[in-house]
Formats: sequence, structure tokens, C-alpha cells
Amino acid sequence: MANVLWLQGGTCSGDTMSFLNAEEPTACDLISDFGINLLWHPSLGMEMGEELKQLLQDCVSGKIPVDIFVFEGTVINAPNGTGEWNRFADRPMKKWVEELAAIANFVVAVGACASWGGIPAMEPNPSESQGLQYTKKKAGGFLGADFRSLAGLPVINIPGCPAHPDWISQVLVAVATGRVSEIELDKYHRPKAFYNTFTQTGCTRNLNFTYRASAIEFGQPNSDCLFYDLGCRGPMTHSSCNTLLWNRVSSKTRAGAPCIGCTEPAFPFHELKPGTVFKTPTVMGVPKELPPGVKPKDYALLTMVAKGITPEWVEED
Amino acid sequence: MAIKTLKISPLGRVEGDLDVRVDIEDGHVVNAWTHAEMFRGFEVILRGKDAKAGLIVTPRACGICGASHLTCAAWALDTAWQTEVPRNAILARNLGQLVETIQSQPRAFYGIYATDLTNKKYEHSPFYEEACRRFTLYKGTSFEQGVTISAKPLEIYALLGGQWPHSSYMVPGGVMSAPKLTDITKAWSILEYFRKNWLEPTWLGCSLERYEEIQTYDDFLAWLDESPAHSNSDLGFYWRMGLDIGLDKYGAGPGKYMSWGYLPHEDKYQWPTIEGRSKATIMKGGIYNSFTDTHSEMDQSFVRESTARAWYDEPLNDIHPFDRTTKPSTNVAKDYEGAYSWSTAVKHQDLGRLEVSPLARQLIAGGRHGEDWQHYDGFILDAFKKLGGASVHLRTLARMHEAVKLYRQAEHCLREFRLQDPWYIEPEAKDGQGWGATEAARGALSHWLKVKDGKIANYQIIAPTTWNVGPRDGEGNRGPIEQAFIGTPVEDSSNPVELGHVARSFDSCLVCTVHAHDAQTGSELARFRTA
Repeated sequence: MANVLWLQGGTCSGDTMSFLNAEEPTACDLISDFGINLLWHPSLGMEMGEELKQLLQDCVSGKIPVDIFVFEGTVINAPNGTGEWNRFADRPMKKWVEELAAIANFVVAVGACASWGGIPAMEPNPSESQGLQYTKKKAGGFLGADFRSLAGLPVINIPGCPAHPDWISQVLVAVATGRVSEIELDKYHRPKAFYNTFTQTGCTRNLNFTYRASAIEFGQPNSDCLFYDLGCRGPMTHSSCNTLLWNRVSSKTRAGAPCIGCTEPAFPFHELKPGTVFKTPTVMGVPKELPPGVKPKDYALLTMVAKGITPEWVEED
Repeated sequence: MAIKTLKISPLGRVEGDLDVRVDIEDGHVVNAWTHAEMFRGFEVILRGKDAKAGLIVTPRACGICGASHLTCAAWALDTAWQTEVPRNAILARNLGQLVETIQSQPRAFYGIYATDLTNKKYEHSPFYEEACRRFTLYKGTSFEQGVTISAKPLEIYALLGGQWPHSSYMVPGGVMSAPKLTDITKAWSILEYFRKNWLEPTWLGCSLERYEEIQTYDDFLAWLDESPAHSNSDLGFYWRMGLDIGLDKYGAGPGKYMSWGYLPHEDKYQWPTIEGRSKATIMKGGIYNSFTDTHSEMDQSFVRESTARAWYDEPLNDIHPFDRTTKPSTNVAKDYEGAYSWSTAVKHQDLGRLEVSPLARQLIAGGRHGEDWQHYDGFILDAFKKLGGASVHLRTLARMHEAVKLYRQAEHCLREFRLQDPWYIEPEAKDGQGWGATEAARGALSHWLKVKDGKIANYQIIAPTTWNVGPRDGEGNRGPIEQAFIGTPVEDSSNPVELGHVARSFDSCLVCTVHAHDAQTGSELARFRTA
């Protein structure tokens, strides 16, 4: 049995909505069959009002142990560091976060916002939003780079905008079944199990990537690759979107929508400045950002070879 | 009788936390204030960004209505850039919008609304035991089934856009995807699964065809009596219990209603303009004024926003969204005589405050205004008149009444796709003004966009919740939810579940906490929940 407390800050509730799409286990199964005791959640919790405040205070005081504190959304600090732009039960939410993070065995940031700020923290960041332990790529965030939860771990980041339901439920199940020690984290504190491969792994456009068959505009019936012209970040983004699939049936890149890198701390990339949306920035025809480990010189060579040997059927595929 | 003040904090919703204050006299609410308690500033963030940034940013304004925001963002760019949108793309956008709303119906009814029927206030109702069996959190038979199956329609969204929530597959000039035959057949199967496993057996207790015969409130009552399968379906059971516990007696609201209309017809909006939209949507928009029993046309130019009682440092007069500057205030104290909310007060330039909701849509669907070919359905308007106006109960019926007709519209999209035709026509980026609108599950949503030098010069969003939950306007008129609280009975101030029903009937998206204090002594009055 694991006690889970889930709160929301500067959020759209998209991670919660994503979580409710889970199957095997469903959100209901997770609670009834997997020993997850959801102490409270903004969409599902029964304890309310003063009862909720009492519950939160009992958590803070240690009377009710909190195995996992899940936070969704940014920590809002505006105006001027007070946090008054996001009040929860007559109090800035950031104060609850500070106190609850200090008593939880594990702290989980669900979604891009809680992990590193996401969309609200985009320039000019009017709400002075931070992630729990990062703001963009910069370690620190609201809780500080040295923060460790009672179990000795940093904040476990489950980024994504939103996070995939399985990423959330599997981490909860791992903790509830005592296998948390087997969760390895990467350098941005993401569980490697879900983030050690690239979004491109499993993409149905991979052959066309290899042969450099590029989609130059949207809505095409073939499987041309979205990386070369349409800004797809699949080769540079860590996620299991194309191996677990979304809503059980597809993924953005499979459907023809470029990956926008929403599991990475720099999301949204280039702050969505003019000319950067759904477009691959290039220098002399070479994408400015290449798949990790590929050198521009080798890329040019590869392109030449790939173009030269592309079988005819690729154009149709 | 003395006035008792209840301050309820928080009464959350998806965009942030909502606080409510009500004054109660003689067991009924006599005054109310609503406070929106969270600000992220998407309009501020979007200034100066890529013209297309709204396609990525605005779905993330609301994780529940993301497809609705994407719809608005895409059409706003289409009107600004004067694009051509192929009919396949219109259908693909409509289908995305439809399945999001079909998802929202069971999720909102079971997840947010119906759990209140298990409140101890109703323990003496003959329906109570059965309500607990069906609607209890997690364990209720219908709760578990309804919340779980709500994920199914979203699989169709993923076939079109890769994932729900938060795809950006709708783009100016069309859509990013080009669905194949297997996507279409898979989507049919998913719809069929939803119908056969929940909509017909659990919700209606009859076939869609039988339900579609209902044209009037008398027809509905006759349907209810026709068979135990009907009266014991979740719809039949809910309707009977609601009458028993008096949900038809309060929560009326402002009595004036607005809808943008939605689902542009695939053959009538391929060259989208702001002006041409209202004559091109399958579901017609407009206004219904219940005081004069008249329907009329709506136009985006009629919209005004007042920040007089909201936390913004902007001019106090009413302004059109195109002229908003969105300057958040650093002084966010709750001032009942002054500013007390992040929500602005949205109004019609002549008619004042308007409710937007599925109820609004259905009252407007019962009008004979608009084009001959546009959708007409007189059922909810007839029920409105027979029952003596709006209520918590009728608002909920209107929401769920839409399930069958939206299902049919989804079928229409699947039938009409022509797989060999284009899904996208590359547009030319231009400067200009755009406007995109739709109906999210909860009501009217629209985006106003100004593009200058290829950048966003101004982006303004008015969400359904902005219309409904706004504070008083410059003239001191209450917002629709504030108004809906007036007259609401609060039988037991330590368990004011009735206030929860009112707020929930507007589909405030998230289950929430409520905390009541006695304003005089500060002592705790209540431990209760509203949903």
C-alpha cells in the first residue's frame, strides 16, 4: 500500500486527463487493485474543505505518511515571489509544495510544467513559473538542485506535455510494489525505462528517414519523414511515444504531426519565436540540429548516399 | 432573519482554483461572488511569438478542452491568412472536436457531477441506495464504467492527430494527417464499441433510434414510462431522482443564452471568413432571450469585456477583445467592492451577461432563426418552457442530450471522408486579423488573433468559463454562475451540496474542495465536498 497525494499548480490539468485515459491498469484499477491509496487528487479526491486542510496538515506533521507526492503544473511565484497568483485554500500553493516535498518519501513531477516549467515558463514567464527541480535546463527550480526526498532521491521527473498515462501509472506501481530501487534516472532525473530511447524509435516513418525522403508539406498520404523540413524533433527527443503508443493506437509522428520535443527541458524549443514553428532551421540545406552524435560532414555524406540508393517504392510508401 | 456568509475556498476548476462567497438568508442564497484564483498569462506569453504559436500553446490552456482550443486557433489563422481549407480537413477537424466532447460527457457526468448524488443530504430519498450503488467514487458500477469508457472516443482523436490531449494536428490550410481506410474503419469500430457498451445499454436503455424519436418533453416522459429499461437507465434514473430531490427547482442563471454554433459544414466553409462563419455551421449559433422568448443572431463584434472588477490594470470601460492589452495586477486582494477575480466579465454589448453551455446550445437549437439546412431540435426548449425555465437538472439533461446527436455527427464525418482528396492546401502566411470559434463541451469558446510582421501582435481567448464564472461587470451586474447561485436553497450550511450542484451543472471540469467559514466568528462551519 502506498499513500499518494496529488496536487496541481500552474496547470491545464492535461496530465490528469491523460492519466484518466490509462488502461491496464485504468485509474480505477490502479486504486482498487494495485494498493495505491490516493489520499487526494483535485479530480478524484473525496476529502474536501477543512477536511482536506486537516489532511494536508496531517501529512505535513507526519501523522499521515506520504509515500509519493505528485505535483502537476508549475510552481507559480508571481507576483514578486509571493505566489499569490496561485492560491489554494487561501494560501499560495508554493507554500504547500515546500512543506509537502519535505515530508514525502518520493516526489514526482508529472508533466513538462512540474518538471521544468513548460509553456507557462516561456519568455516572458509572466507567472514567474518554475519546475520543481529544474527551470528549463537549469538545475535548481523551486526546490533547489540539492533537494532529496526522504527516500534519498531527487524529484522523479515524468515530463511530456502531457505525460503518457503509462509513464505515470508504471512509476506509481513500481513504488507501490517495492521496486523503486530499480528505477534508474537519467541526467534530467527521468526514469530511463521510458526515456532512454528516442521518440523516433518505432516511428513508422523510419525507412523514409533513412532514405531521406522528406515531407515538405502536411497532409500527405505517404510516410515521408517530418524531420528534414517540418521541424520534427523525433530523432533528438527522449520518449517512448512510438513504442508504447498514445491512446493505444498512434503517435504524433505516425499521424503526420512533427514531434515538438515536449519531454525535453528546453520545450517549447526556441521559445516559439517567429520562423521556428513546424519548420526545420537549416544552414545550406543541413538541419541546424542533427540527431545526437551525427557530425555535419557525415550527415552530408549519408544524405548523398541515401538519395543515390533510394528505391522507387519509397516515394509511394 | 440574519444573513449568514459562507466563504468557500477553493472551489477548483481546471484553469485554476475558484473561490465562492455566498450570503444566505432564510435558507436561500441572496448574494454571491465568484473568484478565479490562478493566472498563467497565455495572452502575455503569445505576444511577439510565431504566428502559428497558438496551435501549440492554446491547447495547453486547457487539458480538457484542448481540441476545442486547437479548433479555434486553426480557424483564427485560416481567417487571418484567407486560406482554402479542403473539405476532408473540415471533417477531420470536426471529428476531433466531436470525439473530445463525446469523451467529456461521461467524464463530466460521472466524474464530476453525479458523485454528489451520494451526498448524505439525500439519504432519505428512495433513490439514495441505488445512487450510491451506481455513482460512488471509484466503486460505483456506472462511475467505473463511465470514466473508463470515456477514454475510448479519444482513440479516434489519436488516429487523426496522434494523441489526446495536446495534439496540434489542425493547421491553417487543413490538417497534418491524411487518414487511410484502416483509420476510418478503426474509428467506426471504436464508435460502435462506445455505443454498444455504454451509450445504449447503460446511459439510454434503448437504441439511438428510439431516443431520437423524442421531440418534446411529453415525448420524453412517455419514453421514461414506456419500459423499465428506460426508467432504470442512468438517464432515466438520474432524471427521476433529480425531480425527487428538487434539482429542477434552482440554479436558473441569467436567462439569456449564447452559442457560437459549431461544426462548419464541409462544403460551406472552405474559404473561411469571420463574417461568413455563422451561416456555415451545422449546429447554428445565436442568442436566446427567455424573457422575450426570442432568438437572434450573434456576432463576434457584439462581445465586450469588462475588467472593472477583475485583477487587471486596464481601462475600466467595456472593450472588444481585439482591443484588450492583458495587464495583470500585482494587487490580488479580494475586494468585494472592487476587484475580486482573474476572470473578466464578458458581455453582449446590448444584452449584457449571457450563459454559455450545452443548455444554451440546445435552447438555441430550438429556434427557427438561421439557415433552413442548419440543425434544429426543439426538445430542450420545450422542456425549458414546460418546467418553467432553467435549473441544475435541465442544464445537465441538455449536456447529456447532446451525446446521441454528436454521435451521429461523428458518423457523418466518417461517411463523408473522400480518401483520394486533399487534406491540406499549403497556405501563404499573411498579416491580418483572425477569429476562430467553436463550442467546447462546456460552451462557447473563441480566439481573437492579430498578426503583424509575421508575429502575434495580440492573442485573446474567451473561454466558456470566462463567460460563466466572470465577476460583476462595470455596472455591478452579476456573472452567470453568481446569478445562478441566487435563490439556491442551502438546507444545511455545514453541507451546502446544493452550491456544488449549481457550479457542477456548468461543468467546471474538476472535482473540488469547499471550505466554509462563518464570516462573523471565523469558526469552521462545514466539512463537505461539492463533487
